[in-house]
Amino acid sequence: MLFSSLGFLFRFLPVFMILYLFAPAKYRNILLLLGSLVFYAVGEPRFVLLLMCSVAVNYGLSRYMFWEPSSPQQNRRAKTARRRKTALILSLIVDFGLLFVFKYWDFAAGTVNSLAGSSVVPLFALALPLGISFYTFQLVSYQIDCYRGVIEKPAAFVPFAAYICMFPKLISGPVMRYGETAGRMQDRRVNIRKLENGLKLFTAGLGLKVLLADRIGTLWSTIMSAGPGNLHAAVAWLGAAAYSFQIYFDFWGYSVMAMGLGKMLGFRIPRNFDSPYAARSVAEFWRRWHITLGSWFREYVYFPMGGSRRGRLRTVCNLFVVWAFTGLWHGAGWNFLLWGMLFFVILAVEKNSYGKWMEQTRVLGHLYTLLLIPVTWIVFAVTDLGQLAAYLGNLFGVHGDVPLVGVQQLARYLKEYWMLLIACAVFATPYPAKLYDKYASRWFTVAALLVIFWLSVHGIAAGDNNPFMYLKF
Amino acid sequence: MNKKERVRKKEAGRKKEKQRNQAVRSRAETNGVPQEDDLVWILPEEIEAEGKRPAEQPEKSGTENAGGRAARKGQLLRMAGEALYNCPYLLALCLTCVVALTGFDEIGVRAAAADVGEALRQAAGGKAAASIAVIGGPSESAEADDARETDGAGNAETVGAEGETPADRAEKSEEDAQQKLENAGECKEEKFDKENEIEQENNNNIAENIENKGNAENGTTKFEFYTPIETDSPYYSDAGKIALTTEYPYAKENESYFNDAAFLGDSRTLGISDYAGLDGADFYCDSGMMIFKLLEADGVTYQRTGQKVDLSQVLQEKHYGKIYIMLGMNELGYGNTAMYLDKYREVVDRVREWQPGAVIYIMANLHVSEAKNNMETEFNNVNINDKNAAAASLANGKDIFYLDANPLFTDENGFLNADLTFDGVHLYAQHYDAWREFLMEHAVETGAGQTKGKDGGRDETE
Repeated sequence: MLFSSLGFLFRFLPVFMILYLFAPAKYRNILLLLGSLVFYAVGEPRFVLLLMCSVAVNYGLSRYMFWEPSSPQQNRRAKTARRRKTALILSLIVDFGLLFVFKYWDFAAGTVNSLAGSSVVPLFALALPLGISFYTFQLVSYQIDCYRGVIEKPAAFVPFAAYICMFPKLISGPVMRYGETAGRMQDRRVNIRKLENGLKLFTAGLGLKVLLADRIGTLWSTIMSAGPGNLHAAVAWLGAAAYSFQIYFDFWGYSVMAMGLGKMLGFRIPRNFDSPYAARSVAEFWRRWHITLGSWFREYVYFPMGGSRRGRLRTVCNLFVVWAFTGLWHGAGWNFLLWGMLFFVILAVEKNSYGKWMEQTRVLGHLYTLLLIPVTWIVFAVTDLGQLAAYLGNLFGVHGDVPLVGVQQLARYLKEYWMLLIACAVFATPYPAKLYDKYASRWFTVAALLVIFWLSVHGIAAGDNNPFMYLKF
Repeated sequence: MNKKERVRKKEAGRKKEKQRNQAVRSRAETNGVPQEDDLVWILPEEIEAEGKRPAEQPEKSGTENAGGRAARKGQLLRMAGEALYNCPYLLALCLTCVVALTGFDEIGVRAAAADVGEALRQAAGGKAAASIAVIGGPSESAEADDARETDGAGNAETVGAEGETPADRAEKSEEDAQQKLENAGECKEEKFDKENEIEQENNNNIAENIENKGNAENGTTKFEFYTPIETDSPYYSDAGKIALTTEYPYAKENESYFNDAAFLGDSRTLGISDYAGLDGADFYCDSGMMIFKLLEADGVTYQRTGQKVDLSQVLQEKHYGKIYIMLGMNELGYGNTAMYLDKYREVVDRVREWQPGAVIYIMANLHVSEAKNNMETEFNNVNINDKNAAAASLANGKDIFYLDANPLFTDENGFLNADLTFDGVHLYAQHYDAWREFLMEHAVETGAGQTKGKDGGRDETE
């Protein structure tokens, strides 16, 4: 179920919130767990079982990690250490194994087959379970934190399962570590004020997703429909800008909705975005974009390998590994790997040369980031490598004799989208969020949010009744 | 613990929380260091020490239980006031929800639309059946089923395979038709009755100028039949047939043929306008255009100027030799096929009335790709075929022709080739050349009509 669907807004959410508010505090975790499973099952009835199995197996292994034999034994310490290690390794194999089979098998098998020149390995063509990348990373973070002793005593099953399956962040994050929310899993306050503030945040996120992301998305789709290779450079850049806006507002909107829902339930879900397009270097961009994923990779991959403390060469190697995995995490495809590698190169260069200096500049840094990031998004968005090359060529003025999509179409696109583009540009700056923080409790904010809510509902309803509203033919 | 006490405790807790918040805030301000919680999206009142609860007041004895009703009422009122003060958004949202749900059921809209659609469909069913299902004798359907048994699950299937030229296809469909004639009776399109009602202001009515070149088959619009599948949609049903290009000895023309042509359509026509290089033709089209909106005042954009125009006025003022119409995609989830056909017929009638000298081409809506084809929704090729067959039933082979460009772009299962499209709906810009070739190869020579069109073309208003 998507947050931006009528079923969620008018059925699931009110019913669940009423039950949740009136339920005694001790039943809230189990209610949250059951509600989240229902939420998940509506979209993916088949994979609820997989999710539950994953959670159960991981829970068993984490308990095994903490298990202390009652009878005193010799060299107990060594045995405990070995047991903990076994449990960790097993859980990593299960978690990453499932992720690999469901998400990467066909990609890997296809690569092997094309290298071998015949079909050596069969393809499974499995559907991707919703949110598997997100919940797998949370399960792994829990296990590693247990192993490291960051989590000192094991959670009970229901709070653990509720933490993993919590519907606000189940499907697309943020990736939350157990330590961030352990206290609230035990004991959290729910009150009308949190409900109010959470609902406001949720509405703001809904507006970002429905009123900005979904609508600017049609511009990207229109330009891509004409086809990479045929685009005038200006049109290609407009497309890159449209996609940059779409992916940002879509993901940011979703994260803000998650924060709002979390607040309504009495949690504090960490912030995932901090005006990334206002960054002055690509490194800073990644400190502001999908913050929780970045910190996961830093915490569990980059730092354990030594981070940047083992000399320049080792740092570059570590960056390479982190960005290869970051690329693949976003999708199983060569373009995603390429996308990760692109960031590896940019970040390695920045780290070793102009990065710090660029962040000091006022205009140059912004310009540099705003020109580079849309190009990386094109690598992310265009999954076919031939088309990707064509699109990148278009960006830099390489096309056939006469670009089929030229100035005339550009004028039409601008005429149709100029207001939306300006709105997107404004919301990509840090100011709207700052204004929101300042005036969140004022009456005009309430009125504006009310308008945003019903405009969004109107958009969703119209889009539901006519699936082509946002993709007119 | 009674209600009163609980409220008091709550208040005490809130007071403490406030104090603490203030302390935290002032600390943050004096230090000048932004606290994590002060950052975007986090409200100051949410700042709280993790895990700590407000200290509870010691329980008081039950003596206060005797508090009167009035006092309790006052408390309730105050609570309500506080709630209003604290959560105006929540209350406003609930209120508007109630209004919305009772006023215009936002959630139930679809169900209601479905009911209405179903009723309309049943009402119009007889009518539609009369106009569409005239093809073939009474025993046709059962025999056609037999003939199509090899089709398997009854999926929509077109005749033409990828890469076939239209000529190949015409041949093939002729064979098919022959077979069908044996199997399923005559597949002849009924002549269109309303034709006679059309006012003939002009003596050189287009139908008289178009020579019929002898072949008895000429001018018929044939259908390819298959076993229809059960559909459960208010928007369409599986007609069990796919319309084929009207049989006619088309001439091959060059670009100048389109100098007195007008194209009416949706975003795919916009694609032809943009990428097919038919600069001489006039395009009246918009993304999202529907047959229902085409003739509305200021309903459609004239691509040459980018201005919205009133097409009914334009068609009365200008004279065109050819009118190409392609609409139906945005109607897939709107109304139903019978309504679509009624409106399409009306549009064709009006155009015929205003443009007595023009050949009208009804162009088939292109299929969608396999990835885009969704049998769960109304967005699939079965629905498109249903719409196309309805539109094709208006062709008379004299001055109204049905052109199906699908074979150029679809695979053996009738899906739009995935290599030709990004979104599964629109062709990449470079493939419109093939479409232009197809249109040039399917030109009807209009004799006097053409020259007349050229004389009194666009220049009248420009």
